[in-house]
Amino acid sequence: MIVFIARRLVISFFVLLAATFIIFVLTALSGDPLEDLRQDNSPNKANKIADRTERMELDVPIPVRYLGWLGRIVRGELGVNRDGQDVAPLLGHALSATLQLVLAATVLAIVVGIVVGIVSALRQYSGFDYSVTFAAFVCFSLPIFWIAVMLKQYMAIEFNNWLKDPGIPPTVIGVLTLLGGLIFGALTVGDRKRRLLAFLAGAAISGALFTLLSVTRWFADPGFGLPLVLAISLAAAVGFTVLSAGLRQRGPLYAALAAALIGAVASQVLAPMLVDPTWLEIIGLALVTVVVCVGLGYGLGGFQRRQAITASVLTGLFTGAVIFLDHMLQAFASYSKVVRGRPISTIGARTPNFAGDFWQLNLDSAGHLLLPSMALILVSLATYTRYSRASMLEVMNQDYVRTARAKGLPERTVVVKHAFRNGLIPVTTLMAFDFAGVIGGAVVTENVFGWQGMGNLFIKGLREVDPAPVMAFFIVTGTAIVVFNMIADILYAYLDPRIRLS
Amino acid sequence: MTTPNVPIEPRKGDVHTYDIAPNVLDASGEVHVGLTLDAVRPPSEEEILKVDNLTVEFPTDDGVVRAVRGVSYSLREREVLGIVGESGSGKSVSSLAVMGLLPKSARVKGQILFRGDDMLKMSARKQRSLRGRKIAMVFQDPMTALNPVHTVGDQLAEAVLAHELMPRKSALARAKEMLDLVGIPQAEARLRSYPHEFSGGMRQRAMIAMAVINNPDIIIADEPTTALDVTVQAQILEKLLEVKDAVNAAIVLITHDLGVIAGMAHRVLVMYAGRPVEVGETDPVFEEPRMPYTAGLLGSIPSLENSGDRLRPIKGTPPSLINMPAGCPFSPRCPLADDTCRTAEPELAETDSGGHFAACHHWDRLAAVEDPTVFFRTESETKA
Amino acid sequence: MTLNAQATEPGTPSDSQGMAIVARTQSQMVRRRFFRHRAALVGMIMFGFVIVLAFSSIGFAGIPGWWDKTYLDTGPLTNQGKPTLSLIPEFLGGTGIHLGEHPFGQDDIGIDYFALTMRGAQQSIIIAFVVGIVATLTGAVVGALAGYFRGRLEAVLMRLTDVMITIPVLVIAAVVGRMMGDSGALVLGVFLGLVTWPTLGRLVRGEFLSLREKEFVEAARAIGTRPSRIIFRHILPNTIGVIIVSATLGIASAVLLESALSFLGLGIQAPDTSLGQLISRYRSAMVVRPWLFWWPGMFIIMIALSINFIGDGLRDAFDPRQTRVRA
Repeated sequence: MIVFIARRLVISFFVLLAATFIIFVLTALSGDPLEDLRQDNSPNKANKIADRTERMELDVPIPVRYLGWLGRIVRGELGVNRDGQDVAPLLGHALSATLQLVLAATVLAIVVGIVVGIVSALRQYSGFDYSVTFAAFVCFSLPIFWIAVMLKQYMAIEFNNWLKDPGIPPTVIGVLTLLGGLIFGALTVGDRKRRLLAFLAGAAISGALFTLLSVTRWFADPGFGLPLVLAISLAAAVGFTVLSAGLRQRGPLYAALAAALIGAVASQVLAPMLVDPTWLEIIGLALVTVVVCVGLGYGLGGFQRRQAITASVLTGLFTGAVIFLDHMLQAFASYSKVVRGRPISTIGARTPNFAGDFWQLNLDSAGHLLLPSMALILVSLATYTRYSRASMLEVMNQDYVRTARAKGLPERTVVVKHAFRNGLIPVTTLMAFDFAGVIGGAVVTENVFGWQGMGNLFIKGLREVDPAPVMAFFIVTGTAIVVFNMIADILYAYLDPRIRLS
Repeated sequence: MTTPNVPIEPRKGDVHTYDIAPNVLDASGEVHVGLTLDAVRPPSEEEILKVDNLTVEFPTDDGVVRAVRGVSYSLREREVLGIVGESGSGKSVSSLAVMGLLPKSARVKGQILFRGDDMLKMSARKQRSLRGRKIAMVFQDPMTALNPVHTVGDQLAEAVLAHELMPRKSALARAKEMLDLVGIPQAEARLRSYPHEFSGGMRQRAMIAMAVINNPDIIIADEPTTALDVTVQAQILEKLLEVKDAVNAAIVLITHDLGVIAGMAHRVLVMYAGRPVEVGETDPVFEEPRMPYTAGLLGSIPSLENSGDRLRPIKGTPPSLINMPAGCPFSPRCPLADDTCRTAEPELAETDSGGHFAACHHWDRLAAVEDPTVFFRTESETKA
Repeated sequence: MTLNAQATEPGTPSDSQGMAIVARTQSQMVRRRFFRHRAALVGMIMFGFVIVLAFSSIGFAGIPGWWDKTYLDTGPLTNQGKPTLSLIPEFLGGTGIHLGEHPFGQDDIGIDYFALTMRGAQQSIIIAFVVGIVATLTGAVVGALAGYFRGRLEAVLMRLTDVMITIPVLVIAAVVGRMMGDSGALVLGVFLGLVTWPTLGRLVRGEFLSLREKEFVEAARAIGTRPSRIIFRHILPNTIGVIIVSATLGIASAVLLESALSFLGLGIQAPDTSLGQLISRYRSAMVVRPWLFWWPGMFIIMIALSINFIGDGLRDAFDPRQTRVRA
């Protein structure tokens, strides 16, 4: 395995090297870097031109310029742009914001896309399947910048306006109720009566939920509170148990329920610590959660120890996430006051000069990330959905799935254990391609939302035919893509033993 | 001995011949297996499976495919029932119906009684509890029937854990026993192997181990040797018999290889175009076929006994299951066919005592000659 | 993907007795499945409509169209440039179905926005098709050669695609756009095609790798058929499904790629226009004059969506697994 990774690393390094050469040469050839100066009418025009020519080494051949750039990179210098500014500090600002955006979008797209794709495959030819397919096609066909501008208008400006008095008008509640019913109905298989019942149940639940949210003005000061956190986690515990072990034996269920319960209690006990934690503490808590849950699963799992551990760890982490979300939501009201009631931002990656506690800072970046991620995610989401749907359909027709059924395994085990893992294998190869696509999308999205991010660095550098910032952008994104590619490869090898051993 | 001898699946438009491995046939035309049917415990009189008037239809874009049109048979304890037919004759579909493994789009009618209980009317849960525990299946292609991402031990143990509550360790111990039983060396270590580390024959052995791990009453083997090397085929069949005897199970053996049936099955059911056309004890059916199709099949087998003779293949192709011709479905290819055959489909009727049934208007004409394959004489033979 | 030509051999004795399956050639089956695909049909109609509208209205390449305004001439601003298109009949309380003077409105300097949008649609469609064709031809040829001859060519292709994975398409396209943006739609399309082919090349290579081992290829080799004939007569027709589907989807994504480039100012340069450029130019008008933003957006979506639908229909049509029944 280590040999495998090492070999991949070496190959990736050379691939990246080749790519930098291509980009450098093409950028240098893409136009006239002195264009603006040639139209200059100031008396020191000749001086300026000579200055820039020297700074950008325009009098040496491009490959030589590339070698010079490469030499500087090896020494850890990113060089200067055509105006003599050092590129490194420019990059520094842009880096974290862009990577945050890209990673958030990718992870979300992978998780949601795969889940939706699989459900869609398992419910082939249902209303849900058709709707998902149609939605995916629309997503494939939406220009990312267009949807970004739309989101800015409707999700930010009008949503912020609405938050001043967050009551949901009855007509909207009506529409949401209908929608909830339709989703429930579409997900149900069976005769018309069953689907109708599901529709009514879904409609009733969503109708009640949104009415409640409206009447209590929940959006003005959101949050769950302990009872709701507990209820959500316990429901999740049951859900994860059903998925991983089934309810035939009690062991895994008890382990998962205990994980949810302990999580909820811990949130109260640890309340002082959670007032203003650091990321390090949060990660530490997550690790503790995993350890405790493994213990729970091991102790309570009985004959189904493995499945119990899976169920309780998933439940534990989910409960942690719910508690995290709860704290974020509770910081919402105070944060909203600080930003004068406009929590969903349309410009930049963070509010300038904003200072607050851990939760408010997170809320601030979340508020800035929300819309760009939504715009960015659509294509990837559609891709992952379509791909995992197709992959799952293919796998469900394989002989080994029939064998699994022939053993008398419950459908849950057939899907989760036999089909799911095989279905994921082709999806991993998609990850590398898609990640590059997301970075391309990020360039566009940042442009719409006015982020001073990597994309901006790239576009500005390209317009000015200035390789240094373009290359700085590419070094970072290219490395990110290579790393991501490698993660995909390792995941592939982990999922498919045939690759692992060869 | 490198003659490629894997029976070729007939394609539409091909002149269909059955070919079996000459090197596993001895002079008497039986398959050379170390363990013969006579050496294992005989069947009892108790009927464990009864299939009654089973029909299976698939709606497709081109029309309804009538894959199985009224199949009835019964299976006694410890009995080996052979089902023969070309691909598309409904033999696989009917056994998948018994397992409850047909795709959701299939429309299944009739009765499948396991020890008197109709499996088609059972709850899904009850049906599942029979599947793999009482009725197990060995599939055709061991290359694709095992999940590539899980270890063999895991896939075997899982079959036990699906029906019994026990620690994983005990299930793995049972899995090891089974691998020993089917003759996989170093079973303990092999539990941790992945399917791709096994050869084809070993995988099929593992599949057999998986089928018998819960001591089933019935093993359905769907062309278990078709995808294997000729040399391995005989071993696998022998192992199947041995294992069947060890767990006291009955076997439904589906194949298009008549040689296999001759050596392995107590009784045989010949299927054509979704229907049984001849049923009976193996020997009488093969020695005195009462349906021209069976006779035709026998005429297309090469054997050492009459190695100098020409083969007598059946001409034409099986009918489309969507637009079934009127009358006997075999009539367009049948040398005996007359106007009656082309208008009325014959029922399965008793032709000889001892449970020998055939569906043919003219079975008496077959009975009247010494060698019934004579009707399938080729033109060159007729001239000579 | 296997493409079974399910033609029965003519002249088998059973034919005369009406027993054989109705013989269909592969292209007949593909056509049948395609036209049964409802979304693909809708896509075809929608796409046909856009093409006819875009090219017949303002004319193309010197041939005049039926619309009397051009995308370059300004005119007096009427009614603040609001669209005059009306689709609500009078009896429903609207103003009747008519186009009016400026159906899509006017931009801030009085150019007819319908003409402008049509010009943008023309440019976007031309670029998308040129990109699709260039990328498909290059990808198919390189993929075929690499997959058939293996060796050095294959190594080069594989490394090249590795490199291309590391460079986001938008990035390399932006660089190309910066270079070629002012040389017109055709040139830009050709160059964009030249940087987007490796995905298809890899796909075709994969198909070739598996097909070159098939018996029919071996048979052709055994009787001494020339490699060029084997590649183009024996193997390529079997990969045509993969190529056509991927070309279609490539065209759809080229529409979006071009508009994204134009949006970033790296595509077609003014005074010529494209749909992405229109959106970019008027994005701040979203609040005041939303139609300047809506129309080009609608056309991009219509073009991309219809081509995607057609591609999906083709995929289903070429992939017989959809209707296969295990018997």
